[in-house]
Amino acid sequence: MSDDLGFETGDAGASATLPMQRSALRKNGFVVPKGRPCKIVERSASKTGQHGHAKVHLVGLDIYTGKKYEDICLSTHNMDVPSIKRNDFQLIGIQDGYLSLLQDSGEVREDLRLPEGDLGKEVEQKYGGGEEILITVLSATTGDAAAAIKAMAK
Amino acid sequence: MSSVFQRYLALANQVLSWNFLPPNLGRHYIAMFESSQNVLLKPTESWREALLDSRVMELFFTVHRKIREDSDMAQDSLQCLAQLASLHGPIFPDEGSQVDYLAHFIEGLLNTINGIEIEDSEAVGISSIISNLITVFPRNVLTAIPSELFSSFVSCLTHLTCSFGRSAALEEVLDKDDMVYMEAYDRLLESWLTLVQDDKHFHKGFFTQHAVQVFNSYIQCHLAAPDGTRNLTANGVASREEEEISELQEDDRDQFSDQLASVGMLGRIAAEHCIPLLTSLLEERVTRLHGQLQRRQQQLLASPASGSADSKVLDDLYEDIHWLILVTGYLLADDTQGETPLIPPEIMEYSIKHSSEVDINTTLQILGSPGEKASSIPGYNRTDSVIRLLSAVLRVSEVESRAIRADLTHLLSPQMGKDIVWFLKRWAKTYLLVDEKLYDQISVPFSTAFGADTEGSQWIVGYLLQKVLSNLSVCSSEQDLANDTVQLLVTLVERRERANLVIQCESWWNLAKQFASRSPPLNFLSSPVQRTLMKALVLGGFAHMDAETKQQYWTEVLQPLQQRFLRVINQENFPQMCQQEEVKQEITATLEALCGIAEATQVDNVAILFNFLMDFLTNCIGLMEVYKNTPETVNLIIEVFVEVAHKQICYLGESKAMNLYEACLTLLRVYSRNNVGRQRADAPAEEEEQYQDLLLIMELLTNLLSKEFIDFSDTDEVFRGQEPGPAANRSVSAADVVLYGVNLILPLMSQDLLKFPTLCNQYYKLITFICEIFPEKIPQLPEDLFKSLMYSLELGMTSMSSEVCQLCLEALTPLAEQCAKAQETDSPLFLATRHFLKLVFDMLVLQKHNTEMTTAAGEAFYTLVCLHQAEYSELVETLLSSQQDPVIYQRLADAFNKLTASSTPPVLDRKQKMAFLKSLEEFMANVGGLLCVK
Repeated sequence: MSDDLGFETGDAGASATLPMQRSALRKNGFVVPKGRPCKIVERSASKTGQHGHAKVHLVGLDIYTGKKYEDICLSTHNMDVPSIKRNDFQLIGIQDGYLSLLQDSGEVREDLRLPEGDLGKEVEQKYGGGEEILITVLSATTGDAAAAIKAMAK
Repeated sequence: MSSVFQRYLALANQVLSWNFLPPNLGRHYIAMFESSQNVLLKPTESWREALLDSRVMELFFTVHRKIREDSDMAQDSLQCLAQLASLHGPIFPDEGSQVDYLAHFIEGLLNTINGIEIEDSEAVGISSIISNLITVFPRNVLTAIPSELFSSFVSCLTHLTCSFGRSAALEEVLDKDDMVYMEAYDRLLESWLTLVQDDKHFHKGFFTQHAVQVFNSYIQCHLAAPDGTRNLTANGVASREEEEISELQEDDRDQFSDQLASVGMLGRIAAEHCIPLLTSLLEERVTRLHGQLQRRQQQLLASPASGSADSKVLDDLYEDIHWLILVTGYLLADDTQGETPLIPPEIMEYSIKHSSEVDINTTLQILGSPGEKASSIPGYNRTDSVIRLLSAVLRVSEVESRAIRADLTHLLSPQMGKDIVWFLKRWAKTYLLVDEKLYDQISVPFSTAFGADTEGSQWIVGYLLQKVLSNLSVCSSEQDLANDTVQLLVTLVERRERANLVIQCESWWNLAKQFASRSPPLNFLSSPVQRTLMKALVLGGFAHMDAETKQQYWTEVLQPLQQRFLRVINQENFPQMCQQEEVKQEITATLEALCGIAEATQVDNVAILFNFLMDFLTNCIGLMEVYKNTPETVNLIIEVFVEVAHKQICYLGESKAMNLYEACLTLLRVYSRNNVGRQRADAPAEEEEQYQDLLLIMELLTNLLSKEFIDFSDTDEVFRGQEPGPAANRSVSAADVVLYGVNLILPLMSQDLLKFPTLCNQYYKLITFICEIFPEKIPQLPEDLFKSLMYSLELGMTSMSSEVCQLCLEALTPLAEQCAKAQETDSPLFLATRHFLKLVFDMLVLQKHNTEMTTAAGEAFYTLVCLHQAEYSELVETLLSSQQDPVIYQRLADAFNKLTASSTPPVLDRKQKMAFLKSLEEFMANVGGLLCVK
């Protein structure tokens, strides 16, 4: 890892991405192929012929769109790994498919979509049922996405 | 007509495969025999006349000769012959008759197969006949047959082995689905191993020539032309498509370990031939490899852009060297687990025999100059052949290291790299610092070259370390290679004598420093490799050093870990920046290192390591809070606790164990607070993550519980003088931690999660342990927990694997005993056990179950019967009254009467229980299955 790689500056002065050797990437980790942060859902290694060099095959899902990304490359190849942050916010409302989340500062942010699929339904259901829940938000360089829910600690 | 005959053969085959069991064998044994695949023919005496009549065996040989071209029938007739080849037991009145039978059989066999061309469909059958003969007939019977006949038999075996080996190689080239020759070859090689292992019955050197032939043909099949026939078919060399090999594919050294072990053994027997052969083949290939790489380098220098030229020449060389190193490894040393491997006696003898002709100095020179051609050293032919073979591998290794330095890594074969370090590890375990006390006689070249306190051993240790460093500098992308490399490093330091030499090398200290500073290239290594590296560095620290050096060593190795960690987590804005990739990597590396340190635990270092790790564990709990939303980090933190508990708890005295219990309890509390009611977006991944957490927590709890039955601690003996004062005020016990953990886990377990087999087994192992160790705590559980625990047991008994079912049955006995002790007839546990009585009753009487479970079920059953006698009588009554057939009714009634006759009234007493179990066995043999609902 050379120091002369200029990192983009993220919101907290953090480097947006970090190059990492492909062999070091793990399942459930994150990578940024072609500028889109993806969660790695599948990873396997192989070699061509008995005396070939190791190659790594990756399948990732875009954390915002769920779009599939797939490729195979030599394991010495470098890939960008994003800084992913996770924060819990209290859910205080749902409007027009957007969540209202109470931030630690006391401000309310209303720019996050209600997630699609089962999780979205679950959020609506629990919120509708009057449960107090926290939403875990994944933040990467290119935006945020709701990724999990959790009951409020009593 | 032929189909009738085929039926006849199949029938004969069935009869000859009968199990002749003594009449009074317990059900357990019967089940064991029924499950075994290969039945050897062991009839009773009454079969003597029928089977010892030589015309019977002749008939089968004749039949086979007639029908051998029909592949279906041939298999049956060969199977019949294989059964006859396994004849043994009381049918033979004396040794003489056994010798006659064997001689006759071998004659028939040789007459049948000599001079014919064997059909593909015959290979496996013929190999089973031979394998049965060699396995079943004792050595003294084998040698008692006419010696000429025995020689022809061994010659025939040699011929067949070589020929099947060639055909097997051909099958591989053609990529056939059905590898019949490979199977036959495996079987014959295994027979060789059986035959030569106990060779004192044969005169010395009897097998040598045969061993030479088999060995040569194995080598030939695995080398490329012109020396060998690899990939050669009738139409010339097959061009093999380079196929994609998955990481899950087993390495050749494991996949062919049985073959290699046999060939290695034969190589030892014919050491005079095989060792020089391997040496010259390897040396020649090293020279060629060196030349090839040099030419490639020049090409690259001349035109850097020129793409990769044809790699066939290199790949052929790599494949040759690959097999030569594997065979050499298996020939020179054994792979033993746990015990110290010894130099094989044949090798030792071979070296001693020639030691008078050997010039020691030249031998050392050959060994110490891996960069030079062996033949360029004057007097190279007067060297110890075993050491020269080792030095041939070192020469391969040196070419590889130099190519790495010359930046040609992309041309090297990672597979060959693995072979080299695998070999060096195997060799070092056996030969390096050879302990003279373990041998009657020791070869002078060996003790001079690698004995204790010799320059030779110091040099080799230095060389091996260099090799490790050279590999680690480039192999971060080749995980298997990195892994084999660090395994070699562990071998070098795991024994104190070797470690003493290692720590005298400067490169070791450099390695330690480099690793501690987390700088490239070591920080690129994968986490399991880093973990093992840490383990090796810690083990090295327990070598013999003066106090000052030791102090310095720990300052280099462990302190930086602590300092870096504290610096990171004590930063003011740590919670804000904890998700930054660099910070996370730093934390991950620390946690991996902690696991490595725990893995290095031994009885004599546990005091130091435990104290060091404890400081971290407290901080790790803080990390749980910070990283509560980062499941992979949470997993790793729990894993640190699992490793510490796994490796250290058995050595810890009371007060230290308490510290660990407290830390674990806090960990579980934090985990629980952060995870109750949690739900993540991507359902499948979520389940897997949760599955990992739970599995680790269960492992942790099971490790903590293991203290109750494996305890090496001598009330803080190893910590003496460190922290006086007994722990009079026991604040936490293992039971508290474990039950707390169970409280935590039970609500998170779901039937879906139990579908993961490892998780399911671990879960049931844990609850069975708890029931066995703390039955008194079970009634005190909160109601819903108690219910789910009971439900889990029921589920385990009724709808899980037989292993889980057995665990559950084992858990019932202590629970029922607990009830009997408490004498409360209205407690929930008492009511639950009543329900279990019915379940076990049904299982034993009404359901088909695995007979191996009868003992566990019987014990649980008896204890439950003692507890609920009235209910038991009721169950029996109900069952009997539902029978309409009076015969069955009577049989059942009698059986039940007999079952409880020895234990009326049933009381919890060992003697009665044993009597009951015995009756139960009879009961099962008598009426078990009678009521089975099929």
